[in-house]
Amino acid sequence: MIPASLATRWWAWAAAACIGSWAWTLAHVPTLVAIGSGCATLIAVVLLLGHGVRRYRLQQASAVLAPGPGELADATAAAEEDEIAALLRETNKEIGEIPPVDQILQSMEADNHRRRLEDLLRRWVDVAHRYSEAALVLRKEIHAVVQHTEQAANTISSSFQAVINKATLQAREAMELLEGTQGGAGEGAPQSLTDFIRVSDERLTKMADEVVRVADLSVQMVKELDGVQSRTQAIDGFLLDVEKLADQTSLLALNADIEAARVGEHGRGFSVVAQEIRRLSQRSHEFSDRIRQHLKAVKVGLHKTYGDMRNLSAADMEHALKIKQEVLELTRSLETKNREVAETVSRINTISREIAQDVHNVVVSLQFHDITSQKLKAMLEPMDELRRTLFHLMQETMAVGKNLLPSRPAEGAETTAPVPEPPSEDDAGDSVIRKLRAVGAPTSGPPVELF
Amino acid sequence: MPTIMTVDDTASMRQMISFTLGSAGYEVIEAADGAEALKLAQDRKVDLVIADVNMPNMDGITLVKSLRAMEQYKFTPILMLTTESQAGKRDQGRSAGATGWIVKPFNPEQLVDVVRKVLG
Repeated sequence: MIPASLATRWWAWAAAACIGSWAWTLAHVPTLVAIGSGCATLIAVVLLLGHGVRRYRLQQASAVLAPGPGELADATAAAEEDEIAALLRETNKEIGEIPPVDQILQSMEADNHRRRLEDLLRRWVDVAHRYSEAALVLRKEIHAVVQHTEQAANTISSSFQAVINKATLQAREAMELLEGTQGGAGEGAPQSLTDFIRVSDERLTKMADEVVRVADLSVQMVKELDGVQSRTQAIDGFLLDVEKLADQTSLLALNADIEAARVGEHGRGFSVVAQEIRRLSQRSHEFSDRIRQHLKAVKVGLHKTYGDMRNLSAADMEHALKIKQEVLELTRSLETKNREVAETVSRINTISREIAQDVHNVVVSLQFHDITSQKLKAMLEPMDELRRTLFHLMQETMAVGKNLLPSRPAEGAETTAPVPEPPSEDDAGDSVIRKLRAVGAPTSGPPVELF
Repeated sequence: MPTIMTVDDTASMRQMISFTLGSAGYEVIEAADGAEALKLAQDRKVDLVIADVNMPNMDGITLVKSLRAMEQYKFTPILMLTTESQAGKRDQGRSAGATGWIVKPFNPEQLVDVVRKVLG
């Protein structure tokens, strides 16, 4: 079509270079760029070829006109027009012969399309495969987490129960012990610290009162001894009277004896009587002396007893008052101790109530395991569902791919496709979403409802 | 001494309920799912059932229906103790014959109060 002489022209070389570079581009760059560069090359080649053809014709025309530029101008002009028209027709014909390039491009585009589809399918299969493996690992991990938390929760819960049981027992025993010190009085021996304080207070007070009473009695006895002493003094006076009487009797006997001597013989009998009377008077003196001696001993004894009694009553009183004071102090100290015990009991009661509240909190918190397990398990189902959905999409894609590419099925896709896990139920997705909502959603009703 | 049966597939939950109600003076027996609970309920008289909803083998709603079908459990109080808080699920429980619905996590004091109330 194009004469060989044209090969020496620059535009012909340029066109060849364009086609060559496009051919190289097609093999080395992405499909879209290659198509773009193909179109650009085609336009460049067409333009260059058009330019070359026009140049060639103009040269031919000028060569024809050159020998006779004078009078033959009109005739040559007409001939030139015919020539140009013929050349144009030829050029158009040549342009009409270009379609084989389009066909090549179309076939290349189809090839590219097929390759892209193949690539896409491979990627789908690869993604599905990897996701399926990851999902299985995740499922295993979630199960392990659930198991571990269950074990941990069980251990924590049983340990807490043991701790709580022991704490409860401890508190109860402490309470019993302390309540024993505060409890009601029994009939016999004191049962509690309060009773002990009360009973010992009563008895010590009674003893102190007894001592005081004894001291009072001593004082009374001292007073009575005073009376006895004054009576002994009176007896002393009476004895003096007796001695006076004896003296007078003795004097009377002397007188009688004198009178009897004067009378002589007739007064002899009277003299005997007088002597007897004198003897009686002497005996009276002797008795009086003995009585006085005894009385003196009695007085000495009484005096000593009186002194002793006085000392005793004073000491008793003092002692009794001291004991009473000590008993009072002891009682007060015991009462203080008892109040402290009562306060401790009250504190223990408060702590027990706090422990009960803490136990409640622990019981509430320990239920986290059940809730987290359910949430984790709920995660598995949407994951499996996603895997199943992906697999169905994969199968559909492959079916479409096969229809598009009957001659070149995606072998790689089929060999690497994961073993399908058929969906267990049609509405699995819906149920999963429902469950998720149920687990994750905030409480939509009251926490407790009796129907 | 009333006997209470707790039905839950989570061992720690059963433990919590047993502990809470045991401390309150009740005798508590445990079952891991609806089927086991049904068997236990047939073997002995239970005064109150506290059941989870989502369980393997037999779920809580089915358990309620099965118990209500038995002559001796027609009027026995049955409480559902579950993480489900949706009105739809509650309605299912109500229509199955459950006495009440408690959402997890339960408060021990509240649980004991409810148990006292339903046991009369």
